[in-house]
Amino acid sequence: MAVSVEVPKLGNTVEECLIAKWRKQPGDPVSEGEIVADIETDKATFEVTSPANGTLLARFFDEGTLAPVFANLFVVGEPGENVDSFRPPGAPERSAPPAEAKPAAAAAASARAETPVAAAAPAGQMSPRARRFAERHGLTWSGMPMPAGSGPGGRILEDDLRQQYYSSPRVSSAARMRLADGAVLGGEGSGAAGMFLASDAGAPARRISGIREKIALRMRESLASTAQYTLTASANAGGLLLVRAKIKASTGVPDININDLVTFCTIQALLEAPDLNAEFRDGTIHRHADVHIGFACDTPRGLMVPVVRNAHRLSAGELSLRMKELTAKAVQGNISVDDLSGATFTVSNLGSLGIESFTPLLNPPQVAILGVNAIQLKAVRRNAGIEFIDSIGLSLTLDHQVIDGAPGARFLKVIREKIENVEKLCTI
Amino acid sequence: MYDLIVVGAGPGGYEAAAHAARMGKKVALIEKERLGGTCLNVGCIPAKTFLRSSKLFHECREAAAYGVRLGSVEFDMPAVVERKNRVVKTLTKGVEGMLKRAGVESLQGQARLIGRNAVQVGDRRYEASHILIATGSRPAVPPIPGIRSGSVFDSDTVFTLDHLPREVAIIGGGYIGLEFACFFHEAGAKVAVYEMLPQIAAGSDTEISSRMLQILKRQGVEFHLSAKVLAVEGDTIHYAGADGAKASATADCILNATGRTPSVAGLGLEDIGVDFGPRGIRTSEQGKTNVAGIWACGDVTGRRMLAHAATREGIVAVNNMFGHKDRIRYRAIPAVIYTHPEVASVGWTEEELKQAGVEYRKSVVPMAVAGRFLVEHEDPAGMVKVLAGARFHEILGVHAIGDGSSEFIVAAAVMVETEMCVADASEIVFPHPTVSEALREAILGVH
Repeated sequence: MAVSVEVPKLGNTVEECLIAKWRKQPGDPVSEGEIVADIETDKATFEVTSPANGTLLARFFDEGTLAPVFANLFVVGEPGENVDSFRPPGAPERSAPPAEAKPAAAAAASARAETPVAAAAPAGQMSPRARRFAERHGLTWSGMPMPAGSGPGGRILEDDLRQQYYSSPRVSSAARMRLADGAVLGGEGSGAAGMFLASDAGAPARRISGIREKIALRMRESLASTAQYTLTASANAGGLLLVRAKIKASTGVPDININDLVTFCTIQALLEAPDLNAEFRDGTIHRHADVHIGFACDTPRGLMVPVVRNAHRLSAGELSLRMKELTAKAVQGNISVDDLSGATFTVSNLGSLGIESFTPLLNPPQVAILGVNAIQLKAVRRNAGIEFIDSIGLSLTLDHQVIDGAPGARFLKVIREKIENVEKLCTI
Repeated sequence: MYDLIVVGAGPGGYEAAAHAARMGKKVALIEKERLGGTCLNVGCIPAKTFLRSSKLFHECREAAAYGVRLGSVEFDMPAVVERKNRVVKTLTKGVEGMLKRAGVESLQGQARLIGRNAVQVGDRRYEASHILIATGSRPAVPPIPGIRSGSVFDSDTVFTLDHLPREVAIIGGGYIGLEFACFFHEAGAKVAVYEMLPQIAAGSDTEISSRMLQILKRQGVEFHLSAKVLAVEGDTIHYAGADGAKASATADCILNATGRTPSVAGLGLEDIGVDFGPRGIRTSEQGKTNVAGIWACGDVTGRRMLAHAATREGIVAVNNMFGHKDRIRYRAIPAVIYTHPEVASVGWTEEELKQAGVEYRKSVVPMAVAGRFLVEHEDPAGMVKVLAGARFHEILGVHAIGDGSSEFIVAAAVMVETEMCVADASEIVFPHPTVSEALREAILGVH
């Protein structure tokens, strides 16, 4: 004797349930109490069991469709029994389901390319009803956390989404477009009732440029392959300022700036300290008789280090001119690779930006780099009293693998002497 | 001990006081003059009642064009003033009743802050956890010799006029000057406006203000732009024109409409270290001043100087002081100039977008695309301009000139506030036939 099972009424306000999953195929034997179907309301999932032992004769609704409560859901009986009298009005006369039941909502979602719900929420995490709600209300979660699911195993139910939709801040259309563009929303919305506005979306993550990637690699290598440390000292900058003032006051002389002068002094110092005008590669020190000076240069594309070849052969004026040429090329982006390689020592100046002390990073295989800092007033004891002098800070980074503290300090002392005697070194 | 003392009973102060009282807080509202502040007594409301009368008068004189023949029509200034007083009284009573129902205690007198939690009124001292300064602003007095003389009216004293002047000289072509220019002109006076800048309605979208200039000129208002008023002597105004040439003009009414200055004097702000300058008390977007427990809203902060901005600022301050996070966003505060035609706007102007380097699209349609506008106007001058982001077409600004625009600008404000894109806004149905359809057409025109 065939018996039918109705769609249960799972709540006062529930008028229809969604057929989430059929566990049995028509023709399958079923025993009393065995689960035949999973159905869902907007708040809960529910298992429908067989009331008797027998064979599943018919299923009246497909997976993913809505069935009104109290409608006959399936029939269990003896094979061959007629089930037509149980068929609810409007149910298709077909007992065999499609071979591969595909949730209708998912199909619809994939048909609507602008609603990436299916992609945002993997099947199984979200109930078909929830999926339908999301689709109808245009909910997407790209860049935002999904709501917590209250269903079994954290499964997101329709009610969870409804709660979120009506209680949480909306996202403005412009903000939604920025999200689709890859921007990420964080914190709280700044619009009316907490609405997320376009201005709340941070800039989308962006791949760094090729040159930036190269800088990143070199900086990492620098730290990974050396034992660098920095010594800091200062030199009386009175001479530098005096020379600079003379240059400014004269006409027809090259416009040599403080950085050029310090670089020039450093080159003179390097001629006396060949250990630092060197490269350290594979356990071998390569000292250089010639000074090819690299100088850090801030460009729109990032840090570049142009190189003045045979800088020791240049006068201060010639050095300054060459540095200006190379800087212009670097800034314009038409500097050749040759002009960016082969340095034996590097100078980096952040003093013009007001930096008082920093730790320059080595450009391996070079063994030293000089950081030039800002000129500041410094109190010194002189004769019986205190005097204020202009003082320029110097930060020398060295590779401790080959240069110990004392020789490093001695070299820094030589640079200081050169700087303090710059008037004698370069005549304008 | 009060939870909140509000100083100043204008639209910033009284709304904030009522809001706090409705939250169950013990609130006192101190006012030295009249309930309702500038807006109700010598600002928005009186000006609009005057403009209502002048518009009606003007329409009566134009009635024949609409097929209505009238006998002689007269402008009865005393009756206009009487009506204005009646309207103001009704609204003031309304505010009074509203405050009473909300449970706000009203105090009369000049308040002086004597601590971050204490206010002196006369010889009485009142204490509160929070103090909200909402003392508004007063007409600015620029350094022009003679401008302080009794013969020069300002936007406070002009409402005491008991007769219509024959000739009116208005110093200042901002929204105050323009509204009075419109009133006096429609009422039948000869009006000249002297503006220091090369454009009128400074801060408005230039395309709109140029259009307005053109329309008002056509109506017969005289404009002197880039004109510097040098001195006022009795009924004579001395000025240097755009070319620098000095000239003089006489008028039996001279109106100083050069803007408004925050009312910060006499409050004791210096004594307790509240940070303020000539542009007003500095506040955060939560309404906080630099002194904990002291808040400010409205014209006294010198920010937007609009009644509805003051109201919102006051409510934002109250929400924050009692633990509800809120902040004011100035970008979507609409502004209206109640001339005929009206000017209504919200959001970015085209000049602001250019200056900020924001890429945008614009769409401009004549108001006459709306059938209703044509129905209402024999001379259908006006336009609606929509500015939208170049990439997403989010609506950034809406600027309109034409009667009726003040009533539909709030729809545009919602669009700007919620960053609606043109595609979303295009799905909104506008009632037909209304002037607002011009906004719809302008939105659809963004490509």
